[in-house]
Amino acid sequence: MIRFLIPLVCLVLFFMEPVFGLFSPLNIGGELNYVVPRFLIMFLIFLALYYDLKHAMFYGLFFGLLYDVFYIDIIGLYSFLYPAICLAASFAFKRIPRNLVSATVLTIVLLAVFEFVLYQFFLLISLTEMPLGTFLSTRLWPTMVANSIFLVMLGWMFKSVIITQLSERDNKIGLY
Amino acid sequence: MPQLLTNKRLILLLLGVILLVALISFSLRDRSNVSLPEQIIKDAVGAGQSVFSRPAHFVTGIFDNVDSLLNTFEENQHLKTRLEEFAGVQAEVKDLRSENEELKQIVGKEKDLREYNPIQATVIARNPDQWEEKVILNRGSNQGVTENMAVMTASGLIGKVILTTPTTSTVELISTLNPNYRVSAMVVGGDKDVFGLIEGYDAERRELLLKRIDADIELKEGDQVISSGLGGIFPKGILIGTITEITIDEFGLTKLAYVKPAADFSLLNHVIIADRVMPEVDGEDNGVTGDDES
Repeated sequence: MIRFLIPLVCLVLFFMEPVFGLFSPLNIGGELNYVVPRFLIMFLIFLALYYDLKHAMFYGLFFGLLYDVFYIDIIGLYSFLYPAICLAASFAFKRIPRNLVSATVLTIVLLAVFEFVLYQFFLLISLTEMPLGTFLSTRLWPTMVANSIFLVMLGWMFKSVIITQLSERDNKIGLY
Repeated sequence: MPQLLTNKRLILLLLGVILLVALISFSLRDRSNVSLPEQIIKDAVGAGQSVFSRPAHFVTGIFDNVDSLLNTFEENQHLKTRLEEFAGVQAEVKDLRSENEELKQIVGKEKDLREYNPIQATVIARNPDQWEEKVILNRGSNQGVTENMAVMTASGLIGKVILTTPTTSTVELISTLNPNYRVSAMVVGGDKDVFGLIEGYDAERRELLLKRIDADIELKEGDQVISSGLGGIFPKGILIGTITEITIDEFGLTKLAYVKPAADFSLLNHVIIADRVMPEVDGEDNGVTGDDES
């Protein structure tokens, strides 16, 4: 298998997010629904669960920094939150049964936490004045639904990508 | 069970948080200047992003085409009724244009606030977490884009450039909540042109606020609002929207009008950056007026 498969997947997901972001906001029945693609953080959480935490946090820091500089112009926001979410994921996964379903549920829950923390931050620096109710109904809910669909469709692929890399790494260790 | 936070980890975490707060406050304070490493990252990510956005635009283009095909019949009916009107209007425009030219020559006026050099650009990304209304274009300072230039689509004004790097530029859409975001505008349609400032956006109504209109002036719903060019940077005559409601502002001294934007802010694709021909001066469109700067 390719050695740089994991960074490559991260890079592709990173670039795909804004492309899907162009479709948002979705106008459903006169209401604007904001769908925020969060592919990269879902992959990073899987990485933290199945590969190892150190790599996940490193990739989180790197891509978080890119995200901050290119889109947000607030350096330190995503580059802190990505690794922090990975840390929380790996900590929580030790306490629940280890299978794909529980991993998927955990990822979705953490994603909601992630969105909520971001909302609180932007509220704090008054970039937004969106009330909590509007946030829940027009942002969090559509975002969670869309990302859950994505994760349920591609979660097993994430896992298989990581598992192949994992077995390769273990083989390499065996050589020495 | 391993302890989550050993002493070493705790110290690292605290250091991390301190660094984070320092970085965030640093980048929040000075957001209009881009440092060199930021520029390099922006250009590199921008180059990668254009590769990914091209097929996406292709796909959305197909959807758009199908969508417009479905409405062909209705549109055709509508357009036919407008066509007769159009011939008359066109003749009038031609006449007025030549008259305007002649008059300008007589007065000896060469440049006009209306004139601008269009720079065509493509939207390569929209800020994926849509908290801030920003889009990123594939044209930058190498193509002559500078900060505060007006950005529009064929249907109207959408925003202004707030940041440039050599190959990309960041546009803050007019639907932002940023209180320093002002566009000097005027209402046309009445006997006299009325001047005001576009200041702020009502997120619930999804309409812009046109403030600081003299309370004595009568406005009508349905009047068109265009950029006035008096703010110092934008060219004159870019369509902003139409008035939907007129009220008194919170202090009761001036009028406030809700303006429905002419351009659609979702699914942006090709945009035009307006580089004004007349020399640019400091003004309201800058976001920072002379007083604020001190």
